[in-house]
Amino acid sequence: MKRWIAILAVIAIAAVLPLLLSPTGYWIRVLTFTLLFAAMAQVWNIIGGLANQTSLGHAAFFGIGAYTSTILVLKFGISPWIGMFAGGFLGGIAALIIAVPTMRLQGHYFALATLAFGEVMRVIANVWTSLTGGPVGLSVPFVPPSIAAYSFKQLLPHAYIALIALIIVTVIFEAIRRSAMGYRLRAIKENPAAAEVIGIDTTKVKLQTAVISGVLMAMLGTLYAQVAVFFDPDTVFSAASISIRVALIAILGGVGTAIGPILGALFIIPVEELMNDLFSSGAAGLSQLIFGVILIAVILWRPRGFITVFDSLMARFSNKARS
Amino acid sequence: MTILDVRGISRRFGGLQALSDVTFSVPKGQIVGLIGPNGAGKTTFFSTLVGLIRPDSGSIQLDGTSVVGQKPHKIAALGMTKTFQNVALFAESSVLDNVLTAGLLRHDVETARKEALICLDRVGLKSVAHKLAGNLSFPERARVELARALCTGPKVLLLDEVMAALNPVEMQEIMDLIRSLRDDGITLLVVEHHMRAIMTICDRILVLNFGRLLADGTPEQVANDPVVVEAYLGRSMEAHK
Repeated sequence: MKRWIAILAVIAIAAVLPLLLSPTGYWIRVLTFTLLFAAMAQVWNIIGGLANQTSLGHAAFFGIGAYTSTILVLKFGISPWIGMFAGGFLGGIAALIIAVPTMRLQGHYFALATLAFGEVMRVIANVWTSLTGGPVGLSVPFVPPSIAAYSFKQLLPHAYIALIALIIVTVIFEAIRRSAMGYRLRAIKENPAAAEVIGIDTTKVKLQTAVISGVLMAMLGTLYAQVAVFFDPDTVFSAASISIRVALIAILGGVGTAIGPILGALFIIPVEELMNDLFSSGAAGLSQLIFGVILIAVILWRPRGFITVFDSLMARFSNKARS
Repeated sequence: MTILDVRGISRRFGGLQALSDVTFSVPKGQIVGLIGPNGAGKTTFFSTLVGLIRPDSGSIQLDGTSVVGQKPHKIAALGMTKTFQNVALFAESSVLDNVLTAGLLRHDVETARKEALICLDRVGLKSVAHKLAGNLSFPERARVELARALCTGPKVLLLDEVMAALNPVEMQEIMDLIRSLRDDGITLLVVEHHMRAIMTICDRILVLNFGRLLADGTPEQVANDPVVVEAYLGRSMEAHK
């Protein structure tokens, strides 16, 4: 009961926050991307946290989603809302194709194989000029603003769509974690041989997880395309700024927990923006350097993620409440 | 009625013939002991039965269905599972969750939770249900293994040294439990080093030596078989004198 009140309070604050920011300003953009990256990290958390398969190739699905919906608008005038599901479908197929050969790999080998897959997708998008426009990139065409066309004059609706997406993927994550599938995934993570012997179809469960994560990541790609309006292969298929960043957000926040990716995104995205804001006028790369130092410090301080800070605060709070 | 029928099972690892031409069949409801010196192939044999290791040749029929080449989860669904000698629990999960996960083979989460508590009660570990499995003592973990295997609802249960490091009281409890499982209609194959325990509870004993079935009979027959005595019991009995 208390838990529900807390969750509703957080959602209420998140729902009011965009209204307090200037609708044309810089910080509403930061907020939108923070929410979007939190959702992406949550989706990564399904495979990276629950199945313990550290994917470094989630940009592949993200880019597929961004390109699918945008190409459908450009070539056929199909609403991005429909394009989002088409992208999700293709993202799921891509996830299945990559999961079948990589499923048996663990740890570093799985990470490297998925990283390579993301890079392959980036190269394909750069080369397949007739479909993707190649390195020049694609612009989402301007259409008269309406909800049905997923087109808005301001960033505010985008912030709310990102918030709703974050809530939906968090609910999906938590539902999986608590379901029979969640128990099976924990078993596979801790001892795959024992999991098989007690009746878990480890292959099937891993494939299901990969496909769910791939579908959702591709759908979020559409959200990104609609906010960014312009993108190229090196942005949406980026190993550093998509694949590794979403993994980093989830790991820094607390991998395998529903709150972890949200805490991670609330820290990483604004701090990164702030560093760019403060130091980009200095020497080239200075802001990245400072951001990197901050990340290292945080990882040394809380190796198991921000969730541990959150947990100890909660413990202190409930102790005080009791006394 | 035969529940488990094993014919000519062989398996080689490089230069080592781990199992060679193992043949026997078990009627439903028997408690069968599997003994033999270290490295005789007992654990390899269990792993072969549940599908973790594929035999080079031979056939295994579980309740009339061939299981050679099937994946372990299929074999578990058909009704045969095992415990792990080295204990392979989900250490970061609670004791209850370990057992509950096995119950999901045949039940939804809520029913599996109830089944898991029943299984934990049977092995006498209901009081530690919410502890992390990794924090238990070794003998307790072996009993969680047993409860977890039991919660899959097996017809044939393979127990690999679940009595290791137990004190005499605990050992008696596990022996009583094994008998009560048999009374429930479960067929049991038991690997155990403790001779007195195995001679007491088993209806029948198989002796493995260098991957070969050396003897097959009642505890009395096996204990008095000169081949067995020479290969295995003799030395340890001499040592005890």
